[in-house]
Amino acid sequence: MVEELKGAIALVGYGLAAIGPGIGIGIVVGNAIQAMARQPEAAGMARTTMFLGIAFTEALALIGFVLFFIA
Amino acid sequence: MESVILAASECDVSTEIICAPADVLELFYFKDALFSIGDFHFTRTVFLIFLAMFIVLALLYFGLRKGEKVPSKFGAAIESLVTFVKDDIAVGIIGPEGAKYAPYLLAVFMFVIVGNLFEVTPLINFPITSRMAIPLFISVVTWVIFVFVGFKKNGIRYFTDLVWPKSVPVALRWLVGIIEVVSTFLLRPLTLAVRLFANLVAGHLMLTLLLASGWIFMSSVGDIGLRAVIGLPWFVFGLAIYVFEIVVAVLQAYIITLLSAVYVQTSVHPEH
Repeated sequence: MVEELKGAIALVGYGLAAIGPGIGIGIVVGNAIQAMARQPEAAGMARTTMFLGIAFTEALALIGFVLFFIA
Repeated sequence: MESVILAASECDVSTEIICAPADVLELFYFKDALFSIGDFHFTRTVFLIFLAMFIVLALLYFGLRKGEKVPSKFGAAIESLVTFVKDDIAVGIIGPEGAKYAPYLLAVFMFVIVGNLFEVTPLINFPITSRMAIPLFISVVTWVIFVFVGFKKNGIRYFTDLVWPKSVPVALRWLVGIIEVVSTFLLRPLTLAVRLFANLVAGHLMLTLLLASGWIFMSSVGDIGLRAVIGLPWFVFGLAIYVFEIVVAVLQAYIITLLSAVYVQTSVHPEH
């Protein structure tokens, strides 16, 4: 019984792990767009920082993805 | 791709609506070697690694060849790519001394972008970066570089400032130290590798499932009649994802290069 459920539970766990980073990436990109709209001359810097912020926020979801395969 | 088609065609499409492969993890097994020299097994992945290497070498050789007074369009494109990595990523992130890391970053960028674009190349359709060994090797090399540079530039203070940060209240220093050490020495290389791997595996699986299921549904019109109509939306959706995956392939190559530069930068100027 537990063996059969294991894959499904890991899938639900990955879904839960993706909630936080999803919200976080939304905040990062939203604020980056606002910064680019307010100061178009600083758009290049805002874009680089946005990608960095996305990359760091994404890490939690990626750990969840790995745990899904390990479980 | 073959394994999905095999797994799907083994099940009875006239009675079952969804054919699940018996074991999803079989997608991650290594296939048989094409030929072996001793313990070195030459698989399709190894062949594609060498192909990617020769494509990168050929692009750079023919793009930056000396002797032409006016560079061709192709040469100008390659040159702007090299300038982008050197000026925007290496010097832009690391600072003036970043120029000496530009060759490594260019090598990573070119290899990863060619490896990623294999995903959407017809007749290859397999991103070599979706084998964990390749992103892991790139991130381990980056790890060695930024740890080595950190110790070379700052001596033992590189490590002690991480374990016992002076800018934090004394009561919290041990906690911040633990978090910093784990995130710098363990999570950085892990997430750097897994980010590339996970994006490419997800894209490859999505393309395979959508396009293969569309193909299987449509190619068996006589057997299942109306259900073939279901295949068409899947195929169209797969083509939309196909365009999206081109963007993902380029973006992930950019991000792994950018993050490698950022990690080197934190070792060159640890106080920022």
